[in-house]
Amino acid sequence: MAEQPLEADNTGGNLPNEEGKMFEPTDVPTKNTPKQSSGGNEPIVLRDRYMLDMATPLPQFDSPSAKSYLAENRNDLGQKLFVLICSPKIPSRLESITKQTGIDTMGRLEVIEWGVIYWPPLGQSTMAIIFKQPLGGRINLRLASKEVIITDYDIPKKLVDPLAKILQNFANQDTPHRAIRPENIFFNDEAMTEIVIGENFSTPPGYDQPSIYEPIERAMSSQSGRGIGSTRDDIYALGVTIGVLSLGQNPVVKMKDENLIQARLEHGSYTVIFGSSRIPLPLIEPLQGMLNDDPEARWSFDEISDWLSGEPTNASQKQLLEKAETPFSFQGKEYISPRLLAYNFSKQIPDSIKAAQGQAFDIWLLRSLKNKAMSDAVKEIFDNAKFHPNGYQGSIEYISFNLCMILDPQGPIRYKGLAFMPDGFGPLLASEFLHNNNFKFATTVLAHDIGLTWLANQNPPFPGAPDLQKNFKVLKGFLEINELGYGLERVLYEMNIGQPCHSPLILNDYVLLIEDLLPAMEQASSVADTSQIPIDQHISAFIAARFKHDIYPHLKAFGSKSRGTSIVGLLSLLALLQWKLNEQKMLGLSSWIGGLLGPAIDIYHNRKTRKELEKDIPRLVRKGSLPELFSLVDNIDRRNEDLLGYKKAKLEWVAAEEEVNDIEGGGDIRIKKAERAGQQTGGILSIIIALTFLSAMLIIQTW
Amino acid sequence: MVSPVIEKRKKALSMSTWLWGAFIISLWMMLSPSTLIILSLGMLPTFVAFFCDRTEHKYAVYCVGGLNFCGILPFLLKLISDHSLSAAMNIMGNVFSLAIIFGAAGLGWLLFLSIPPVVSTVLIIMSDSRVKSLKAIQQRIIDEWGSSVVEDSELRTNLDTSDEDMIALAETAPPKTKQTE
Repeated sequence: MAEQPLEADNTGGNLPNEEGKMFEPTDVPTKNTPKQSSGGNEPIVLRDRYMLDMATPLPQFDSPSAKSYLAENRNDLGQKLFVLICSPKIPSRLESITKQTGIDTMGRLEVIEWGVIYWPPLGQSTMAIIFKQPLGGRINLRLASKEVIITDYDIPKKLVDPLAKILQNFANQDTPHRAIRPENIFFNDEAMTEIVIGENFSTPPGYDQPSIYEPIERAMSSQSGRGIGSTRDDIYALGVTIGVLSLGQNPVVKMKDENLIQARLEHGSYTVIFGSSRIPLPLIEPLQGMLNDDPEARWSFDEISDWLSGEPTNASQKQLLEKAETPFSFQGKEYISPRLLAYNFSKQIPDSIKAAQGQAFDIWLLRSLKNKAMSDAVKEIFDNAKFHPNGYQGSIEYISFNLCMILDPQGPIRYKGLAFMPDGFGPLLASEFLHNNNFKFATTVLAHDIGLTWLANQNPPFPGAPDLQKNFKVLKGFLEINELGYGLERVLYEMNIGQPCHSPLILNDYVLLIEDLLPAMEQASSVADTSQIPIDQHISAFIAARFKHDIYPHLKAFGSKSRGTSIVGLLSLLALLQWKLNEQKMLGLSSWIGGLLGPAIDIYHNRKTRKELEKDIPRLVRKGSLPELFSLVDNIDRRNEDLLGYKKAKLEWVAAEEEVNDIEGGGDIRIKKAERAGQQTGGILSIIIALTFLSAMLIIQTW
Repeated sequence: MVSPVIEKRKKALSMSTWLWGAFIISLWMMLSPSTLIILSLGMLPTFVAFFCDRTEHKYAVYCVGGLNFCGILPFLLKLISDHSLSAAMNIMGNVFSLAIIFGAAGLGWLLFLSIPPVVSTVLIIMSDSRVKSLKAIQQRIIDEWGSSVVEDSELRTNLDTSDEDMIALAETAPPKTKQTE
């Protein structure tokens, strides 16, 4: 195999086209950009302490998806720092940053500070992470330039031992590193004795890894769908890293990824990557153990530790690859490995289904591969598809997904032309939904229980399967609710802690934390169209995913069909945020919301109350307090008073109406009533006269 | 089903009344035939009114009867001194007496005919005034609460569910602002 020196691995130098474009200077920032932007090459300040000098790039610390610049601590100018500017289009590993900031570095690059800053070359805000500079530089470059020499016999002590210990620390924190590669390992000191590993925050797990450093199932996955994985995956990457460093070059650098994966599937990763290289004898056993394609049989830290201490290891278990006795022919090529066949089946869906339906394939499974269970499972897929000809179960994509899963159970989920591990669904969703506008993919993965089906097919169970199953079920529930705060956007933010809010209103502000949302909206209020509602599907989903308070009543009101109720719901939601997050004055946002309150005020029935509210709103808008504005508009006492008054007024109106109808009701009846009353009066009068006369006559007679 | 029973009862009562009437008149004829003659002849307008008035309450009978009786009363009192049939015949044979008796009955008719229009006019004026006052109240309600109060009342709708939603939301208001308000 062709080999190439390590110097050729221009880490960070040659960013992928799309990433490269992102770091090129842009035109004048769009109108919705934060005010802290500075023109020219003035340093940018983070947390009032760290000056980030965008005029001084430090390519030696670049990551594949993030560029480095000089950073200075105003309080300690002697401290040598650099800042990594992440790509705003790729979700960062926020959970890892928060875990690793301010604690013992334990062999990692020391994170000094992080935050969101406006970065003029990008024309928008993005994540900046400040690190202490590793003074010894990248290990691969130092070894290649022979500034430091590590002999074959020193490798265990000087490379394997420290790196294993660092990864062990990661394992103890329950966070795999997932970015172990020679270019991401540094000498921390100028004497080049202390090894540290580089950052793993700027991209999703495994995103920047060349496929050689990924275990085969994750290497087959899409770049963003490789998943968080486990320490077993770090151990695999460690094995490849050590092998590459010991050889001084990547032995398969000239092989195309596609060919490398096909070869690894057929012959095993160790055989393909290091099989024809001169690996130092003492390293053969550990590398075979660490590069085992079966995660269960792969070496653990215990076995590495045993090997380092010279104790016997039970890890010389040879990797058993499932192979058929005779090949199966598909599109002119012959396959003996079902995993490799699955890989190729996933790339030619209609043809693969035709091939799998043929009798030859069943005979191959039964007689050549001697796997009756697999044969039965394949038959079941087609029977199921026949039973649901019009359902998704009958679609070729679903059949293909099942077929590939049966042929290669450990392989990634292959569905609709994409491959991903179940723990990598979040970043893949972000990539497909936000950048490829492929929302149908994520929707169908959840709606058709693709992840759950794959997890149920795993034996032994996939690590973390119960949590993943629970997640998929919850996310499916979110997807099925067609209301604000739910839907695919909610799934996106629930699955990607490091995904900034993608609402067009605040897109350039890189709102990563809920605390940053209101300030960004406040800033946007000065340029936004204030006749529009300031919260869209993205913002509501972002709040629902990040804000740890019950906002269901607010979202329910906000989603109401009544315009007035919806506006009150909007105000209440924002007021709750301002109140709970202790945000300061929001003059712009208050003014914006204040201008939308007309329909909310109209919910009050009493006109006098409405006029009073209209009079009071400008005063509270000037205070910038959304909670006060909310209390004015939706005060419980006033609301009850209005409601009771309205009920009373309605009753009074109805009573008056009934009386009027009674009086006016039917002209003839009314006249007859009056006539009868007149006749009655006449009768009474006559009787009175008679009685009076009788009395008078009797008195006269008596006298 | 019920009405025939009621009709039967009415007939029975009527028969009983007639019998009682016949008995009283017979007794009366034996005790004071003179007063019976004056009353039976003098109260003729009242009897006519009784048969003419088809209304339920027979107000014409009260009107005519009351004044008719007033006309007879002085002549009845005259019979106290001379309680004979000839005295009664003299009274009833005198044109002047008859003029007084029937004139009084005529006044009764006049009363019956003239009072109802006056009273009904007064009543209509009063109810018109009440309607005006009620409409003023309704207008005040509309001015204060808007025309929705009429629509809601006419449709007999319950209050909008949004009212309940708003109260539920108002309960989530921050405590500080609750106090402020």
